[in-house]
Amino acid sequence: MRQDHIRNFCIVAHIDHGKSTLADRLIELTGTLDKRLMREQVLDTMDLERERGITIKLNAVRMQYRARDGGIYELNLIDTPGHVDFTYEVSRSLNACEGAILVVDASQGIQAQTISNLFLALDAGLEIIPALNKIDLPGAEPDRRAQELHELLGDGAKPGEILRISAKEGTNVPELLEAVVRRVPPPRGDRAAPLRALIFDSYFDRYRGAIPSIRVVDGVLRAGMRVAFGAHKDDVYEVDEVGYLQLGHKPTEQLDAGEVGYVVANVRGVRDTRPGDTILDAEHRDVPLLPGYREIKSMVFAGLYPTDAGQFEGLRDALAKLQLNDASLHYEPESSVALGFGFRCGFLGLLHMEIVRERLQREFDLDLISTVPNVEYHVHKTDGSVQVVENPSLMPHGSTVQRIEEPFVKARILAPAEYIGAMMTLGQERRGVYSGMHYLDPARVEFGWEFPLAEIILDFYDKLKTISRGYAALDYEFLEYRASDLVRLDMLLNGEAVDAFSVIIHRDKAHEWGKKVAERLKELIPRQLFEIVIQAAIGTKVIARESIRPLRKNVTAKCYGGDVTRKRKLLEKQREGKKRMKQVGTVEIPQEAFLAVLRVD
Amino acid sequence: MHLYLHVPFCARRCSYCDFSIAVRRRIPVRGYVECVLRELGDLISSGWVDPGASPRGSLYLGGGTPSLLPPEAVATLLTHLLDAFSSTPSLDALEVTIEANPEDVTLSTASSWRRSGINRVSLGAQSFDDNVLQWMHRFHDAARIGAAVRTLRAAGLDNISLDLIFALPPELNRDWSRDLDEALALAPPHLSVYGLTVEERTPLARWISRGTSSAPDDDRYAAEYLLAHERLRNAGYHFYEVSNAARDGHRSRHNSAYWSGRPYSGLGPAAHSYDGRVRRWNLAPWEAYRRAVQSGRSAIESQEILTDEQRELERIYLALRTDAGLPVSAPYRLLPPLTAWVERGWVALRGGRLACTAQGWLRLDSLVRDLTALAVAV
Repeated sequence: MRQDHIRNFCIVAHIDHGKSTLADRLIELTGTLDKRLMREQVLDTMDLERERGITIKLNAVRMQYRARDGGIYELNLIDTPGHVDFTYEVSRSLNACEGAILVVDASQGIQAQTISNLFLALDAGLEIIPALNKIDLPGAEPDRRAQELHELLGDGAKPGEILRISAKEGTNVPELLEAVVRRVPPPRGDRAAPLRALIFDSYFDRYRGAIPSIRVVDGVLRAGMRVAFGAHKDDVYEVDEVGYLQLGHKPTEQLDAGEVGYVVANVRGVRDTRPGDTILDAEHRDVPLLPGYREIKSMVFAGLYPTDAGQFEGLRDALAKLQLNDASLHYEPESSVALGFGFRCGFLGLLHMEIVRERLQREFDLDLISTVPNVEYHVHKTDGSVQVVENPSLMPHGSTVQRIEEPFVKARILAPAEYIGAMMTLGQERRGVYSGMHYLDPARVEFGWEFPLAEIILDFYDKLKTISRGYAALDYEFLEYRASDLVRLDMLLNGEAVDAFSVIIHRDKAHEWGKKVAERLKELIPRQLFEIVIQAAIGTKVIARESIRPLRKNVTAKCYGGDVTRKRKLLEKQREGKKRMKQVGTVEIPQEAFLAVLRVD
Repeated sequence: MHLYLHVPFCARRCSYCDFSIAVRRRIPVRGYVECVLRELGDLISSGWVDPGASPRGSLYLGGGTPSLLPPEAVATLLTHLLDAFSSTPSLDALEVTIEANPEDVTLSTASSWRRSGINRVSLGAQSFDDNVLQWMHRFHDAARIGAAVRTLRAAGLDNISLDLIFALPPELNRDWSRDLDEALALAPPHLSVYGLTVEERTPLARWISRGTSSAPDDDRYAAEYLLAHERLRNAGYHFYEVSNAARDGHRSRHNSAYWSGRPYSGLGPAAHSYDGRVRRWNLAPWEAYRRAVQSGRSAIESQEILTDEQRELERIYLALRTDAGLPVSAPYRLLPPLTAWVERGWVALRGGRLACTAQGWLRLDSLVRDLTALAVAV
């Protein structure tokens, strides 16, 4: 295909603003897929994505389109994930494009995430084609939203020129396709230059290994070639197959500069085909790599433990399998006094963590307990060394610590103006550093805050939604490590610290947290033979205390002939129950207690 | 051999009772006797009743309310039932108990029971407080209890046990201490004291869910249980099981059979039988039982074959219910939970056996659970 007849583009939109529906319409309109084969929202392939209405894994689809100018164009629609956890992936897939359709819900208007992704798209130098979607809905205010888009994009989006579409009904979608052809620039790669292809996604196939989705920037990629990856140049792979993506793999002879497709080269796992990395011709490994590649760093950490110790092996195998397909999942074995053997896992964010946990439970049928998620701390010691701490129970105490640094993020919050007060309060509660706000329009405000990441990983998003009746939106990116007055707070049961309950927390919040956790544990731990003293402590200083009175009696008064069976069955049941409890010293802790500390409010 | 006969009939359901009973104004005496005798015949021919098995056997008429049966019916039943024990050297070597409500005990009835072979009576006294008795749906008043005891003795039935219930809802203002005094004043050689247990689908459970009765209070339960231990000990009784105390030589032989895991056979609706390996039980509703037996079908509803592990669990549980306790081999005696329990005075280790104290019995179910989790195989 001639480069000037290729258009690589993506859709930038907020969750629910209709990205997937629009993709469906484009696929349908170009006749790429038989209508009978169309499943609703074909680009979201994972069940979990469908359920949550979000796109996690990137994907792409190639469409043939006969434009009104008579030319036949190759349109590559590259999907982007739409959640704050996946900013890096978004930027990689944007780099594979020359243009982006910016979809905004005509009734809801621009959301924080849309702005973030739009800025990423502008950073990547993409041509932006704004479109107002859902104009068929009664609440649509296209004029008002068009004005907003104009304010946001300037002359690139004159209110009268912004397309008003209904992806659901198909209204004006043909015009949108024309706009893509007319306005998105064609790729400008050098076919004759040595190969450079950008990986923007990777997928693991059980039989064929990791299969990266790529955009060929320069050169040509064909089967039989020997290639290498910029991140580990010494390994050479032979290309088995190249092709394009069309809701499946369609092999072709070669992929030229400017084209989008996939490559099969017997790569073991997706860890070796990282998004952002460059694929090179093995004979020309010295060419400059494509810019922007970054090791993906985990931001959120939590211990995952099998409820039943016998499932440890199963959990290990399951994590290994997931990691083949998810390079951003990190894990290493750890053990906990309370929970036994498990894994400390690193995630991109809280959503990523929830998705992993759900997949482990659903696809691998595992029953898991997770510890309170936390961030990674940099502990500067008095001897000048720095210790990186991902597990709160390993945080050193006392005099060896000179200072502790925690990650801060730059957050953008969009909220209706009536919630300014509530937003300010929430921001302060979460130790936010306020950096300003401005009105997007008379009704909506954009806030800038800097937050310790630890303050927003637990329930911040839910809280934000609650206090704004669902209208506020959040987006954040990593900023830097900063010193904070942090302490390690332990929960002790009968004097013994339960490692799984330890948290690292700001000194000013420790008392409140400790008190609430102690109260929750008091509710959730059943009375036992001995008194249970629950203490929250910083070092040796106890800051909150509760106690659970011992059982005064637990006896069946009568037991004669027929009752023996009944009683034995009860005992068998109780024994099963005991197995599911975690024993720390003399205290038995039910599973719910571990879950409950995740929901301390 | 130990044989149990379940007599399911009652004039009214007691407020705390979830037993398999049939409330009847008129008792179908003939039908009942016929069914039981037929079942007995089947049992003997099936080999479940082994007359030679134990010279010191027991026969127990429980309920329900066996004392509601006319004395002649009791006589008929006993004639046949005792035949099953024909190889027993003398009838006095046999413990033959009937459960009775105080209001059913008259001199002629008691004398008839005595003549029929009954030599032990378990009297459902429950309390000496008339208000409490009414609340329980009992028909007798406190005065009837004393009268019944005297009548039984006059008829030559000295081996008497009184049942008492404690841990009643506080709003009844029941004076447990006084009730114990009253019971001890009658000097029965055996006493059973049962902590009130709220079972599902009883009038009491409904009262509690409606809020007209208060929920059970563990502290009260514990205090009253310990008081009973103290009083009875001082009066010369020895607790030989969680809820049972006796003077020397008056332990219930029949119930001890259950606690020591010996085989037993049961007749009548809902009755259970156990041969040391298989436990089987009869259809529980009277009508279902009657129809089955009368049409020549088996009265057995179901059975279970106990696994070794289940037998072990039962053995541990039952042994710890008794004062004999559980033999525990030396290494296990040093395990942390056991030593902590000994320290707290919940259990005592004597002669290689682990036995509960009153404080331990109060926590028995928890102790057993923890103990069996340790796999104290001995």
